[in-house]
Amino acid sequence: MKGLKAYEDVAGLVAVSQLRQLADDLEGTKVVHVNSTRVGGGVAEILVWLVPLMQDLGLDASWEVVEGKEDYYKTTKAFHNGLQGKPVTLPPSKIEVYEETARQNAERLRPILEEADFVFIHDPQPAPLLELCPKRKGKWVWRCHIDVSHPVRKVWGYLKSKVSGYDASIYSMPDFAQSLEHPQFIIAPSIDPLSEKNCDIPSREIEETLERYGIPNDVPIITQVSRFDSFKDPIGVIEAFQMLTETMEAELILAGGGATDDPEGAAVLEEVQEAAQGNPHIHVLLLPSDAHRTINALQRASTIVVQKSLQEGFGLTVTEAMWKGKPVIGGNAGGIRLQVFNHHTGFLVNSPEGAALRMRELLRRPERMDVMGETARQFVRENFLLTRHLREYLTLMLGLRLGLSDRLMADQSYENPQ
Amino acid sequence: MVSEKTDRPPFKVQDCAIITRMGGVSSAVNLRELRERIAVCPAETLYHHFCETLVRPTFDDPEFRNDFAVWASRHLRDRVLAERLGIINPYIFKNIDSLREKVLDILDERLSEVPYIPWVPKGEEFRFMRGVTIVFDTHATLETAEDLVNHLPDMSLSAIYYHFVEARRRTPDGTDDFTTWLADLEEKPEELLRAFAHIDFYFLSLSELKDALVKAAQAAFQGGVEVR
Repeated sequence: MKGLKAYEDVAGLVAVSQLRQLADDLEGTKVVHVNSTRVGGGVAEILVWLVPLMQDLGLDASWEVVEGKEDYYKTTKAFHNGLQGKPVTLPPSKIEVYEETARQNAERLRPILEEADFVFIHDPQPAPLLELCPKRKGKWVWRCHIDVSHPVRKVWGYLKSKVSGYDASIYSMPDFAQSLEHPQFIIAPSIDPLSEKNCDIPSREIEETLERYGIPNDVPIITQVSRFDSFKDPIGVIEAFQMLTETMEAELILAGGGATDDPEGAAVLEEVQEAAQGNPHIHVLLLPSDAHRTINALQRASTIVVQKSLQEGFGLTVTEAMWKGKPVIGGNAGGIRLQVFNHHTGFLVNSPEGAALRMRELLRRPERMDVMGETARQFVRENFLLTRHLREYLTLMLGLRLGLSDRLMADQSYENPQ
Repeated sequence: MVSEKTDRPPFKVQDCAIITRMGGVSSAVNLRELRERIAVCPAETLYHHFCETLVRPTFDDPEFRNDFAVWASRHLRDRVLAERLGIINPYIFKNIDSLREKVLDILDERLSEVPYIPWVPKGEEFRFMRGVTIVFDTHATLETAEDLVNHLPDMSLSAIYYHFVEARRRTPDGTDDFTTWLADLEEKPEELLRAFAHIDFYFLSLSELKDALVKAAQAAFQGGVEVR
């Protein structure tokens, strides 16, 4: 992980200076982030840079992970599905697994969590830790990364009992906020432009990556990068591709890794492989969770990037593709709507037919793709790089510390400028 | 004329960071609910939807500058209402309650005109938000008007917002921080003050506003001498 100084070129000197000025009043503050996996998925990818950069700014930041057995991850996956509106049941046996695992983790993590000035609990998996740390002294914030706009009521009802005691919660967009008594903040996620997944790479490396997977590069390449998860609709992408290739040649890449907290990935992967069987132009790639440069190369090799999600917290793969100057065809869902603007940075679609139509439109009008790609990259530079994200975390912490009125002085000794 | 150093206190350049939170009232699905929520929402919520739109990430150049007008146009599909709300200049009201009164008056009038209450589909509700602003020191101080002219190009957009826009709700006469400070200098830079007063920022993005300030300041202070 690079230090903050390395971001001055790409994000701007002013953006980096602002972070240092804001962090002046948070020096030495103990901050702990807790989630359920160190590798795989958007949350881990954010924490990989967020924690070291907070440390670089003088905060005493650390990252802890809750651990459990397979039945725990099955339960939390059911939570995840239920919160995103997929019908699930949560029998008492599953609840007991969830709560018992939380108790075991609390035994291990309690000393560090109770001492922290700020604890950020990411997603539902570690949510019960709050009530298991009765001597906590800091502010606890529940950070919800998923689309909870239409949850299964019983699932949300249970989780609400675990998160309502927090001092605040954070969502990626206002549509996801729920009826809770505490302050609810909106912070969109972001990408690290210098990470292995997003940094510039030589064109030779891109070519070698395609060769390695036997993907021809003499026809347009359409790519979806995401976990094998039914909410990402990989089957819908295959259907769209089949409609497209009735009239023109192309290659389709469906690339993704598994996350250690996602036990359903294998079943979805099997379903995708079955749907792709017999079509040599569809490349289903199961990548290791650290294959960041490979994903970088595949995104850069693509003519169009697709993220046809049916539900989506934010869609960091959309941001990554836009940063690489690619137009994106995205599902009209969740945070994708914050990034993809019809005719400007790509297209929002609601069906495989819509995706096929927009793929064909873009491929038939390549000059528009270049303009869209440049617009997309600039939009990410202005709004979705990690400097903005980190600034909002610092602002939130100062706001919570100072009492959350509408205007607060970071250092209370300041006066108005005159 | 170049402003000399005086005994007046220097101008401390500050900056701000804003984080958005939910606005404290339920979302509105129709025109009547919008009216009811605006009547009771916190002052900060109204301020956010009228004035903090400037600091929010946006993609396109919005047709209207406040969120209520945008919602009326894009989601309620009531162009008449959108235009009536869109013309409101929030900076001319002496306080938020006067602004609220004006908005409610427009909504009541529209409610009396329409044959049915316009609704929006699920997912297009108006969600009330508010901002929390953290003000922090940049450690830059300015002694003279010329210092300000020279420093403006280096100021962040959020510092420009704080001193030129947000200042209007915290200064007694509703003016910006630059003007308040410059007007108090021993030798007032009259041309610079006039140039700043002529900037109508309501239709500008923050980067356009910064450009306008820099150009106005440089024109008034060519070569370090104020042009009259």
